[in-house]
Amino acid sequence: MSRPAHRRPEYHKINKDLFVLTYGALVAQLCKDYEKDEDVNKYLDKMGHGIGTRLVEDFLARSCVRRCHSYSEIIDIIAQVAFKMYLGITPSVACNNSSRNEFSLILDKNPLVEFVEELPAGRTSLCYCNLLCGIIRGALEMVHLDADVAFLQDRLKGDSVTEIGITFLKKPDEKKYRRKK
Amino acid sequence: MVHTSLDVVDEKISAMGKALVDQRELYLGLLYPTEDYKVYGYVTNSKVKFVMVVDSSNPALRDNEIRSMFRKLHNSYTDVMCNPFYNPGDRIQSRAFDSMVTSMMIQVC
Repeated sequence: MSRPAHRRPEYHKINKDLFVLTYGALVAQLCKDYEKDEDVNKYLDKMGHGIGTRLVEDFLARSCVRRCHSYSEIIDIIAQVAFKMYLGITPSVACNNSSRNEFSLILDKNPLVEFVEELPAGRTSLCYCNLLCGIIRGALEMVHLDADVAFLQDRLKGDSVTEIGITFLKKPDEKKYRRKK
Repeated sequence: MVHTSLDVVDEKISAMGKALVDQRELYLGLLYPTEDYKVYGYVTNSKVKFVMVVDSSNPALRDNEIRSMFRKLHNSYTDVMCNPFYNPGDRIQSRAFDSMVTSMMIQVC
């Protein structure tokens, strides 16, 4: 069987404003549908999760990244390849603890919030870009990595930077496999 | 005062009719005998009207300055419109818009 031809990345460009306005309309509609910020955040995360589980296939096919051997390699790839490919930005990476399973992605520029000056009154705990957290979480899940992804800081809430925290969770079945061997 | 000027704007729009190609509209009018001020109008293609009231005691502002002020207003207005949480028709509460307007007014005074 002949090897399939190497898939060349085809970037179908769309207008950035259209994308940003679409995302804004999505969040605004969720805000109209649900009164509590936690509900809106939860649904954004859920939607992101659905996107992430599918997007990771597209990402792996286009980027041809090699197998990663550590969490920090994974985070570097997310920041430098995935974010660059889909959002055109490259967040900086920071490791938050010595056991090297907690990381932060620091976004100095977030295209999704370009037109949003500040969160509306009464929506102070809304995580506007929570979709991104869901996407990262879903994508990692598809490559069999459990992680907690959440916003640690948010410019829209008054912080100086926007920071996404990713905490890799220990897989419970790792130990089982070792015992069987 | 502003309401009467809005009526005049509507008059002008309907008068121009089909020939409305130029979105810019500058007019000097409504100089009341007791209170001297000038009212300028600007209408966008989406029929959004901007009305500017200027105190006549100011040395008369040049046409170019008025035009550029309206253009800045229009640009800031489009930024406000792009905010997903802003519903058309609401009172504008954007800080960026307010600071732009304040800086324009300070420039003129």
